[in-house]
Amino acid sequence: MGIRMKTRIKEYRAKHNLTQEKLAEMVGVRRETIIFLEQGKYNPSLKLAHNVARALKTTIDEIFIFDE
Amino acid sequence: MKTKRLLLAVAITALVVAVILISLEAYYVAIALITGALIIGHRELWSLIRRKRLPPIDERVRENTSKAIRNGFIFFALATAFLMLPFSVRLIETPDTVHVLGGLFLSGGMVYLVSYLFYDRAEPGLGEKGLKMLKIFLMVAGISLGAFIISVFLHNAIYGLFIVWFGEDFWDRIGVGDEPVFFFIALLSIVALAVGIIGSLVMFIKGLFSKPL
Repeated sequence: MGIRMKTRIKEYRAKHNLTQEKLAEMVGVRRETIIFLEQGKYNPSLKLAHNVARALKTTIDEIFIFDE
Repeated sequence: MKTKRLLLAVAITALVVAVILISLEAYYVAIALITGALIIGHRELWSLIRRKRLPPIDERVRENTSKAIRNGFIFFALATAFLMLPFSVRLIETPDTVHVLGGLFLSGGMVYLVSYLFYDRAEPGLGEKGLKMLKIFLMVAGISLGAFIISVFLHNAIYGLFIVWFGEDFWDRIGVGDEPVFFFIALLSIVALAVGIIGSLVMFIKGLFSKPL
């Protein structure tokens, strides 16, 4: 059985009043990558997950949730 | 700076080779080459036109591009091998047929490559249903290409072998004149290939110009 990944990036982004474009710029990726991350369709590297969490002033396990 | 120099080198080389190919009347190959050069340099060209900084090539884009290049090369290797076959064993003597088929295969290859290279931009706008359709069309294109190659081979092999086994007038005796089954499958495959190519192109353009869901 696969593990499903959900993210709370959208929620945290709204909390910090950040657009997808702005967040993408902060972590050095494309806007499309942020869209995929928000939809849980892209499994990021640990480094990217760390950068996203740091940009949203939170921790990795707070924004990336795994359902077994 | 490095990218701009590389783009310039690719553009000049592609232009020179394209002029040589056009002078040799190899129009389809020239079109494929120019399109290929545009695909390789599309990001730099687009940024030059809009005077905007290039979007970064992040880890996801790198993953997609390497997959795309690998799959694209496999497709082109297959298409080229197939296109060379009629010339080497003289199965098809009319050059027009070869040119039409060549154009169809090259456009198929282009759709395949473009879909993968721009996949990350088209996917967010397609949604799950659209994505499923795009995958189906790409699969139809790929499968029909394989079916066409196999049918052409079997059509000719059966035609020849039956003459060897049952006599030169075998096909006239049974009243068909030629091997009909695989000939029909090959024709159907061409239609399916065209449907696959056009369908995936339509879905791809739709995804590219829709807002992300």
